[in-house]
Parts: sequence; C-alpha cells; structure tokens
Amino acid sequence: MAAPGWKASPMSSKEFTKPMEDHEKVNILMVDDQPSKLLSYEVILEELGENLVKATSANEALEHLLKKDIAIVLTDVSMPDIDGFDLAEMIRQHPRFQKTAIIFISGVHLTDVDRVKGYRQGAVDYITVPVIPELLRAKVSIFAELHRKRRQLELLNQQLEHRVAERTRELKQRADLLDLATEAIMVRDAEGVIQFWNSGAEELYGWGREEVLGRKVKDVISIKPHNSHGTLQPDLFDFGRWEGNLVHSTRDGREIVVASRQALKNNGDGALGAILEINRDITATLQTEEALRRAERLAAMGRVAGIIAHEINNPLEAIINAFYLLRDHPSLNDEARRYAQLGEEELLRVAHIVRQTLGFYRESQHPISISVPEILDNVLELQSRHFQLSQIQVEKLYETEATLFGFPMELKQVFLNLIANAVQAMPNGGRLRLRVRDCVDPRTGTAGISVCIDDTGSGIDSQHAKQLFEPFFSTKAAKGTGLGLWISKGIIQKYEGSIQFRSLHLASGSATCFRVFLPGQISGKTLKSRAVASDVPGRPNGDSRAS
Amino acid sequence: MLRDKPVILCVDDEQIPLSLRKCVLEKLGYSVLTANSGTEALEQLQRQHVDLVLTDMLMPGLSGAELAREIKQRMPQLPIILFSGVNEIPEDANYADVFLSKVEGPARMSATISEVLSQARKLA
Repeated sequence: MAAPGWKASPMSSKEFTKPMEDHEKVNILMVDDQPSKLLSYEVILEELGENLVKATSANEALEHLLKKDIAIVLTDVSMPDIDGFDLAEMIRQHPRFQKTAIIFISGVHLTDVDRVKGYRQGAVDYITVPVIPELLRAKVSIFAELHRKRRQLELLNQQLEHRVAERTRELKQRADLLDLATEAIMVRDAEGVIQFWNSGAEELYGWGREEVLGRKVKDVISIKPHNSHGTLQPDLFDFGRWEGNLVHSTRDGREIVVASRQALKNNGDGALGAILEINRDITATLQTEEALRRAERLAAMGRVAGIIAHEINNPLEAIINAFYLLRDHPSLNDEARRYAQLGEEELLRVAHIVRQTLGFYRESQHPISISVPEILDNVLELQSRHFQLSQIQVEKLYETEATLFGFPMELKQVFLNLIANAVQAMPNGGRLRLRVRDCVDPRTGTAGISVCIDDTGSGIDSQHAKQLFEPFFSTKAAKGTGLGLWISKGIIQKYEGSIQFRSLHLASGSATCFRVFLPGQISGKTLKSRAVASDVPGRPNGDSRAS
Repeated sequence: MLRDKPVILCVDDEQIPLSLRKCVLEKLGYSVLTANSGTEALEQLQRQHVDLVLTDMLMPGLSGAELAREIKQRMPQLPIILFSGVNEIPEDANYADVFLSKVEGPARMSATISEVLSQARKLA
C-alpha cells in the first residue's frame, strides 16, 4: 500500500500531478488485545471497502503506523501494558500523526468520556460498548472521507505550488529574454509611470533601471514626433496599438530616432492598465539611407546637367566661332564688325554662365566621399598668394572627421567663392577664420557638418542682406558677375544643406560670418564626446565669435 | 612654307561646328585636316603628317577618349587635345594631353594649342 501523500521527502512532479481518485482506499488500523473483537470490527467495517489493518497491541499498532499511511486508528481503551489513551498520546507526539483520526472504544465510564474530551485538537471520537455496527460504520466512514478530502487538498496544494514555481521560472526566463533583446522595452502605467525597463533600454537611453522605475516617462525622455508622422495618442487609444518613428532624447542629451511600437493593455474592468512599448534605434540606418538617397539624387542631377551642358555648348561653340570669323571679315564695314565683336563677347558671357551653373569640371560621374577639411585646405592653398599680398592671417579649427558624399569640385567652388569674398573684403589685412565641426541642423534634426568662415573685413550692409543670394547681385561693381553666392547657395541646396550669414558692425571694426551646413555622416566619436561636455545639441553653432 | 604651319587634325561628328572650327584654326595660322569619326581620323593619320589632334569627346563609334588611346598606342609622341561640350572629364581621358572646353572661345583655344605644340617640340 503505497501512500504517496505521506512521503516526507520532496515529491517528484509525476507523483503529485497524478489525479487523486475520489475513492482511493484508506488504511484503517484496528487495535484490540482480543482477536475476536478485531474480527467483529472487521465484519462491521468490511462493507466500507477500505483497507483494514489489525494489531493486537499498542506496540504492533505503532509498527503499522510507521510503515503505512494510516487514516484512522480504532483502538480499545483497556489493553494490558499500554492502553488506548497512552497509544493515542504516543501517536499525537509524532508530527506525522497529528491529524490522524482516533476512535476510542470503551465502556460507559464517565472518566473515559472526560479524558476523550481532553483531546481538544485533532479528530478524536469515541464509541461505547456494546458497539452498534451502524454507528461505528458511520463514524469511521466520516473520518475516512475527511482523510481523503484532506489528502486531495494537500495534493492540490502541492500541484498549485509546483505550478507557481514553474510559472515563476517561466516569468524569470521571459524577463531574461527581454534583457537579451537589443530593443528598448518598457512598460508604463496609465499615469505614465515606468514599471519595467529592460537592459536594452538602459543601453539605448543611458538610464539605469533603478533610476527610472517609478518615474514618469516624460521626466526621463523627451519625446517628439519624427517628421510629421501622424498623431500618437488617438491611434493608440482608439485602436490599442501604434507604430511609427519618434525622436527621443538620451541621458547625455543626444537625440535619436526610434522605430516605436506601442500597445495598450487593459485591466479586467476595461480601464487602462499599462502601455507596452518597444523601441529600436534607427538613427544610423536613417542616416545611411539619407546619404544614399542624396548621392543618388546628386548623380541624377549631374547626368541631367551634363546632357544640358552638352546640348547648349555644342551649338554655342559654333556660334562663337562664327562671330569670331565675322569680327574682322574683310567684306564688313567697321560698324558691322563691331556688332560681331559685341556678339562674340556676349556669347562668351553666356558660355561662362553655362559652365558655372551646369556643373564645374567634374572628376567623376558618381559622388564620392569627401573630407571637408581637405577641400578647405585645397582652397586655402589656391588663395595663399592673396593672403600674403593682403596680409591676411588665417586660423583653422578643424574639429571633425566627418565626411559627406558629393563632388569635390562643387564644394571647392562654394568655399572658393566664400573665401575669395572674404579676402576681397579685407584689402588692408585682417583675420580669416575657418571652423569645421559636427552639428545637428536645428530645423530638420539632420546630422551634418557646419563650416563657419569668419572675416574681419568691411562687412555687409544690412540693405544688401536680402539680395545677397540673388543672381546677378554684386557689390563689387564691374568686378563681379553677381553669380558667386547664388551658385554657392544652389550647390548647397543641392546637397540639402543651408547657408546663412551674419555681419556685425562694431566700433572696433566689422566682422562677417558665413555658416554653411551640409548634411553628412557624423563622425560618431567626436559628437559623443562633445555632447558629454554639456554642449547643448541642436543649438545653431554658427556665428559664435565668442567661442 | 608648309613646314612652318603646324598641321592640326580636327575630329568631330557634327559637320557645321567642324567646318567653323576649321576656318577659325586656319585664321589662327594652322593647317587643318578634318575627320568625321575616330576611324576616319586613324586612316588620315596613316596617310598624312599631323602635329596635333583636336578631337570631340562624344562621337558615335570611337569616342574621343578611345581615339586618344588608339593614337597613343601607335604614335605616343603625337599631342592630343580632348575637346568637349560636357563640363566633365571622363574617367578614361588620361591618354589625352589636355582637356579643353569647347566654349572657352578662340583665344583660349589658340593659347592651349600653341602651348601643347611647344611642349611637344621640346620633348621631340
């Protein structure tokens, strides 16, 4: 008779997940020094269908108790050596038998009844002799049923505990899994208080779990829509889900673009329970895509410009040659020749403009990776003679390793225009300062390179400011074509960049700064170390003469 | 007298610009031969003495750059000017000696030609 429920050692899962049958037999130990009485109890209890175990002494009874799971002890009170009460006392002392039911069989002595009542705890009953069979059966049957129920409960409890343990293990695994994810995973409650924060989130935002749990998400991360990408709240609350890109801030003040997926989780009563959110950093991916897109567009524009230039230049050459031949043709009089000469001169102007606007001599059909400092050095070398002649002191501050895609000659043209203008503004000497650094365009959030060209020259009159970038506007009278800044701006816009200027007129002299922003691959290293140095990102960092 | 006038072989697939260019070059004091394609130019070079080749870049058949390569393989000393309406130097243009834009005007063209010729004379 195996009694699994009573094993003292921890159970294996198979044993306690085994379903408990409603009528599994229980063991009933009958103790009496008279075998005839045992026999009569056996007869009476047989029809209950339980296992009946007989013992003719308390010692024998104890042996059975130790070997088997006994549900009920039915004992005679008056036995030689150890009587029924002593046996009951011994049984109760053992922790395993605290709840074993004991039924005493005794004559009608008041003293016995009183002693029975002394057993306040545990299932204890008594029955008087002569034994009434129905009464004995009823009492034993109740205790047997109680025992079965208790065992069922215990088994259920064990099963429950096991399931709780398993579930806990599963949850732990799931939490470990969430920590393995490189995505930032967070849960916040209806008030926006952060309740879960995985290691992906720690990594991405720079905030540790302990630092953010219990804080409102908006106090930790600043959240902005990326581009004009829909509205977050209505979608999330109407459909329970939302997907899209957002701009988040990290602990060190960087702005990152994340692909975010959010879902509402309602409580049982339908009220908002929590918001689950998974964010993936797509800043670098977007930058790469952006650079590729820009490179493709530049290549396409280059092809178009090349075709147009070809179609215009071929007939243009023929016409220029025709006017050249006409210019001093013997059959024409002086007036006609002068017209031909004017025609040739004007055509050369057209050719010059075509060359400047429809592309410089380009080295390659395809945009290549360009280092802006290299381009600037190249231009400075071209201008070095002018610096010497005009006694201009040049300062260089190159603070980036960033590169961008494009055509070096185009950028050379931009910086040559700006630097040549600066030189011409300082005929009597001065200081030219070039500063290149990584930055983020405050208006578009695009990462790129900022180039500031400062001069201490004559400055720009505010009345000219508005027309500065217009074609054929020149302050250099006959000396300029009025195309330099217009072309420069066109090139910069082609690169999706921007150009701004500022001119200060102070008592000590004037100063002018042109700032060119060009989108490009930021050299991550430089940007991060700058951000740590508490430089406010996104601030326009041009024009800062004081810095 | 003919030895004093340098001979220029002018190559272009477009007839009108080619004939006008011929007149201008003759007025500038050169003796001018013309060819309407790269193949024709190579034939001319076998028959006649030429001091300089001035070739268009974009032509059907042999392009100007390809013609330059062919010529340099046969006559490495012969100077070649790539003459183009496209503001762009092709990647295989390094066989030519000089790249010149078509719309620089006769004065610039003349200056470039005499410079290339004087360098070639120095080397010879």
